[in-house]
Amino acid sequence: MSVLIGLFLKLSAFSLIAFGGVNALLPVLFNLAVNQEHWIDVQTFSDYFAIAQAAPGPNFMTVTLIGWHVYGVIGALIATFAIAWPSSILIYFLQRFIMRMQDPIRKSTIQHAAAALAIGLVLSSAWQIALQINHDYAAYALTLLTITITVLTRWHPLYLIALGAALGMFGLV
Amino acid sequence: MSGFGGVLPWARRTLVEHDKILTSEEFSAILGICQIVPGPNVVNLAVCIGSRFGGARGAVAAVLGLTLGPICIVMLLALLYEHYKYLELVKGVLRGISAVGVGLIASTGFKMLRDELKYPAMLFVVVVTIAAASYFHLGLGWVVLIASPLAILLGWKKAQKS
Repeated sequence: MSVLIGLFLKLSAFSLIAFGGVNALLPVLFNLAVNQEHWIDVQTFSDYFAIAQAAPGPNFMTVTLIGWHVYGVIGALIATFAIAWPSSILIYFLQRFIMRMQDPIRKSTIQHAAAALAIGLVLSSAWQIALQINHDYAAYALTLLTITITVLTRWHPLYLIALGAALGMFGLV
Repeated sequence: MSGFGGVLPWARRTLVEHDKILTSEEFSAILGICQIVPGPNVVNLAVCIGSRFGGARGAVAAVLGLTLGPICIVMLLALLYEHYKYLELVKGVLRGISAVGVGLIASTGFKMLRDELKYPAMLFVVVVTIAAASYFHLGLGWVVLIASPLAILLGWKKAQKS
């Protein structure tokens, strides 16, 4: 029971600091789940991350899977609820406030500032997580290939995920 | 449910292009707000759009509708994973997917970076954030505290320019 309460409280707090979305803060989640709370080990985190990327739906499902690992179905539901409720309540009240903001300069100042912060966080997140889950040069090469293709073309991400799965299946990564 | 590789593009297509519930500008404005506020972006988006049409109840319905199906699927996958994770084949597949997954996250960042090139001074904020988080390994609170005054100052200048 106490592990469930811990899961709920820690992830609720995480929700409120998750600027730029959950993917921007994967390193914080990693630190929390692997190093601090010992909910899961590095390999499981990396595998859950892969499953969440490959599955349909919002990609914060890594959190759901961590909950699942800790306490089965109940753990999964509590983890997902914990990650969603604080920020949902915050935005429910904030959106009207921001939408009604009349001064267009102030409005776009906030948006530009938030966008720049989010970019920095997302890029650092990708870098730090790559250091944890990519074990060899082939994996880094695949990550770089993914970045190149997504930035230069309009390929659907699913093709790239399938490509990664196939390369991994044949033991190339 | 069909939100492979993230739900956002799909949400835009359905709400703006197909059902015409929102205009493109409204969608961008709402998305902008959702990205300022912490928390899962997609859930935030569901709260904003749901509450617009049905108040608090609409918000809850939108969030549940968006997450329940995927939660069930992901738990099924977790069950399969528990049974077959010892297989070299499964390990390889997951290694491949996670390498691609990191790349996908990075490219979201690079795509957003492209929009910032219109006002290159803003890149300074990005560099400061990355340095604080990845090189100096500061906690998130410090990163936001250090980078946000600069971000707000430059954001204000950028807003006046455009």
